[in-house]
Amino acid sequence: MKKNNLLLLMLTLVIVLAGCSVTTKEDAQQQNQQDPAAETPADNTAVDIELLGMSANESDLNIIRDQLSKNGFNVKLNLQPDYGSYKAQQDAGNFDIALSSWTTVTGNPDYAVRSLFKTGGDYSIMSDEEVDRLIDEAATQTPEEAVETYRQLEQRLVTDKAYIAPLYISLKSQAFNKEVLDPSSVRLSKSRSLPWEEVDFNDTSKRATEPLILSQANSELTSLDPIKGNDGSINIINTNMNVRLINLTDDDKITSEGSLSYNHAIGEGNYDYYFILRDDINFARINNKQAEDSGERVGADDVIFSMNRAKDKDSVPDHRTYTLHEHINTVEAVTDLSELENTKVSGSSESIKDALEKGLSTKISALVSDKNQANSSEGKYQVIKLTTTEPFPQVLNYLAHQSAGIVSKQQVEKINTYDINNFDINKDIPYGDQRSVTEGDGYNNTLYASGPYILSYKNDYEAVFYKNPGYMSGTEHEPRIEQINVRFIKDAESTLSALRSGEIHLYYGVPETRYDVVQSDSKLELTTIESNAVSYLLFNTKNRDVANSDDLRKAVLYSINQDEILAYYSNNKIKAYSTVSPIVKTGNELVADPAKVQEFLNAYKASK
Amino acid sequence: MINKLNSKRHTNHQLKSSPEYSQASFTFVLSLAITVILLLNSFHYADGTVRSWVFLAFAAYAVFTIIQLIIAILIRRDLLQAGDIRRSTRLLGYVQLLSILSGNLFTTVFGCNLVKKRKPPEYTIAVYMLLTQLCVMAISALNLFKPYVSNTFLPAMFGLLIITVFHFASLLLVAKYVDGHYAHPKLVWIALPLALSAVSGNLFALVLGINLLAKIRRNGNPALTRWGDVWVKLTGNSTAMLGLFFVVFLFCLSVCSLLTFEYSFAIDNNYSAILLPPSLEYPLGTDNFGRDLFSRIVYGARISLIVGFASTLVPVVIGGILGAISGYYGRHTDNIIMRMLDVLYAIPGILLAVAIIAAFGANTVNLIIALSVGAIPTYARTMRANVLLVSTYEYVDAARAFGSSNLSIIFKHIVPNSLAPMIVKSTLTIGSAVIATSSLSYLGLGVEPHIPEWGNILKIGSTYLETHSYLAIYPGLAIILLVLSFNFLGDGLRDALDPKLD
Repeated sequence: MKKNNLLLLMLTLVIVLAGCSVTTKEDAQQQNQQDPAAETPADNTAVDIELLGMSANESDLNIIRDQLSKNGFNVKLNLQPDYGSYKAQQDAGNFDIALSSWTTVTGNPDYAVRSLFKTGGDYSIMSDEEVDRLIDEAATQTPEEAVETYRQLEQRLVTDKAYIAPLYISLKSQAFNKEVLDPSSVRLSKSRSLPWEEVDFNDTSKRATEPLILSQANSELTSLDPIKGNDGSINIINTNMNVRLINLTDDDKITSEGSLSYNHAIGEGNYDYYFILRDDINFARINNKQAEDSGERVGADDVIFSMNRAKDKDSVPDHRTYTLHEHINTVEAVTDLSELENTKVSGSSESIKDALEKGLSTKISALVSDKNQANSSEGKYQVIKLTTTEPFPQVLNYLAHQSAGIVSKQQVEKINTYDINNFDINKDIPYGDQRSVTEGDGYNNTLYASGPYILSYKNDYEAVFYKNPGYMSGTEHEPRIEQINVRFIKDAESTLSALRSGEIHLYYGVPETRYDVVQSDSKLELTTIESNAVSYLLFNTKNRDVANSDDLRKAVLYSINQDEILAYYSNNKIKAYSTVSPIVKTGNELVADPAKVQEFLNAYKASK
Repeated sequence: MINKLNSKRHTNHQLKSSPEYSQASFTFVLSLAITVILLLNSFHYADGTVRSWVFLAFAAYAVFTIIQLIIAILIRRDLLQAGDIRRSTRLLGYVQLLSILSGNLFTTVFGCNLVKKRKPPEYTIAVYMLLTQLCVMAISALNLFKPYVSNTFLPAMFGLLIITVFHFASLLLVAKYVDGHYAHPKLVWIALPLALSAVSGNLFALVLGINLLAKIRRNGNPALTRWGDVWVKLTGNSTAMLGLFFVVFLFCLSVCSLLTFEYSFAIDNNYSAILLPPSLEYPLGTDNFGRDLFSRIVYGARISLIVGFASTLVPVVIGGILGAISGYYGRHTDNIIMRMLDVLYAIPGILLAVAIIAAFGANTVNLIIALSVGAIPTYARTMRANVLLVSTYEYVDAARAFGSSNLSIIFKHIVPNSLAPMIVKSTLTIGSAVIATSSLSYLGLGVEPHIPEWGNILKIGSTYLETHSYLAIYPGLAIILLVLSFNFLGDGLRDALDPKLD
């Protein structure tokens, strides 16, 4: 019993000694709050808020949930497994705030706001006259003038009304096997997709024998008709299957390099846009699963046809990109050479003809209407004139988007024979439907590709592409590698493993938290670039408290701490203030402020 | 030749008849395994330096492992020479008791077993009770290294301390005053407080209290009750007791963590402490959101245990009742119930669970329902088979002859006598329920992702296997240990409840 007592005494002593120096949670909180007047809010009950997101963005959702909970919200997570069910929940209005993201694939600021925030925009759920006015005003201004207008727009959109709460700008990243691929041939551009035709092996003798193996998460291809899809499943594929009038450089400048046009010029008044077409691209088609030259040249009639169907909402069922091209007024081939000679280039005394001839070895001697007559060595060219509904130089950015890809007039009209008003997806197979290229009974590849590669067939495992034999042969834009396989790997971790094991050669979109793994692997190279992708919180605009109360929205806005998000991603994200942030530097910055959150929350509670 | 064979058989028999000898070898192997693990971990392989703390722990373990080996050899010699373990060898057990300071539970338990020649089950239970209490205290005390502790930490720790001291005193009293069939009547004064001290979650205390009371009531009566008999057999089975110990320990920790752990460390993101390696402040490191892995695993135990028990209890009750009714009434009742259950049985359990979760959303209640529904048929079948057997016994006929109602026959006479296989089966399936919970969470179908649940924790860890492997190893170990414990316990219970093994 003596031993027992001694032990008791000793243990008590230990606890008492420890107790003297132990800080409890209350102590810690009291130390943190020096100003006792600031606390004691009138009403301490947590405000319920429903946060909608996809399980792929679980980390972001957790950070937001954590930040909101710490600021006096009671967060209910609505976690959906895929984009389809997420969108369904969003359309049904089952959310207060939805974690959304937007990528400005055209690289111009107008696209970053128009369809998202303008009344009636195809992704817009809000309506605010001031916002509408500022969007329209900025669209017609020069880039320098527009900065101030976009700053005002952000002020209205975020600071004053808090229609969105910005989170971050993502980096665009790409990792590839540098033992296999030539690092100088693998481009990473801010907006445009990777140009496949430039990618090359270190060992050039393998060009004809080995396929280049890429990967993609989504195996369901929305549509191979460029105007019928604008999402991750087809953007890269369609960009490489269809050539465009114009391209974007790696830093989002307009260029004719690698496009259907030798040159382009903007006419006086910013209404008319001229393009002089190449004569060395033929459509490719698939015969017996192999690519062959169809013998049909890509010419002005195809361009006119493609542009007209791109802007016409009713040209195809499920037209998903017409809003991008709503500024196109007319598209026509120029046959009168004097028109080019007599029209001046915007802001210059140079004639359009001179501008279009720049760098051409043979000057324009005649303009032909038949595309087969065009011959650049003889000076016979085709020129396209595109007019816009209002002065709108940013239209060029939209023409560089994959949805402005050129398709064959003859072939598309031959396939799309259905009656558009009675279109039945179960019966009619439109041009570019993935069923026509999927291996099996339904396989009947009718694609005509104007771009460097053509899709031969796909299954659940991969899609196989072949080089277009009639694409700019003998120039620096001729595709290097004969065959490209795109593996469908749904999971990011598996894709990374495939890259490391050498199963695939290039992985586009490495998660930020895995950069260190790629960097530590000696045979891999990681390239990153600031992208135009912005993540933000979208507030519900119907039937919820957040729709009516500015205070509640602002309380959420000031709960967001972008520094913490950056810390989580080890600074591989960039602060954002709105969806135009990656394109226009307006100087606005969101600073988290718990005191303001309390103020707005109290105001909200008082108003209830 | 025959003599040689005989003597070998004799040797084997002598060694086998002593539980201490098999325990000594078993303990030695376990202790050696941990020692080797510690040794392997005590070096930085990259730069060839020694981690002094791990090496110190290794040294401590190595000392006790060597002592353990010596004891095992001594016991073997004693048994072969004298047929019994000598007093001097038993005294070495006190040395092994010191190993509690190094945290080597196996040798400590063995020491407790060795020092006492005749061990009533109450003594073993009391030893485990004290160990549980000490472990919970030690684990909770790690919170002292945190920036701050929960508001209830100090009073709770003080309460735990008092209970621990009381348990220690009880152990001494039980060791002195409880015998095979006799317990000192005055022990009734500690039996009740012991049962009460089980509010801390220490179920060993409850069992000890009940056993003491039962023993005092039957003082001097050598006949064994079923309950007593089960505990005699169970306490003699080291693996089963280890399993039971870990389950009770986790349960006790889950209960105590309500007061001694701070939930915010487990759930609030801390961006200044992302992916830190294990340290005193964060004993198992932090995850990618800067949350303390140690706190998360402790809180995760609660969900795993609740879901494990609940999703086993629900089908045991529903399946048990359905099985009993169908076995007792037979004919059409039997046919209808069993065929309907066959339909349910045809659907794979995990698929059914995924479907239910997908339809009704992911939360704990739905998770329990989802896991329960699929398990009903197997319990119904087990119960039905037992009831079919038991209802042919004479005492059932006798009850019927006395005019008892069907319901009272089923639930008073038949069901209690058919329960043993159900208990064994449920113990064994709790383990799979724990795994199913974690699997569903791992797939994103269990509880919400930020809630500390072992499957959720493992999911995060799986993406950091290469760079921060501890994030996956610790929750993985926790799952393995819990499932293994339930399986050991289930095996032990089966042996203890099986009348054929008498």
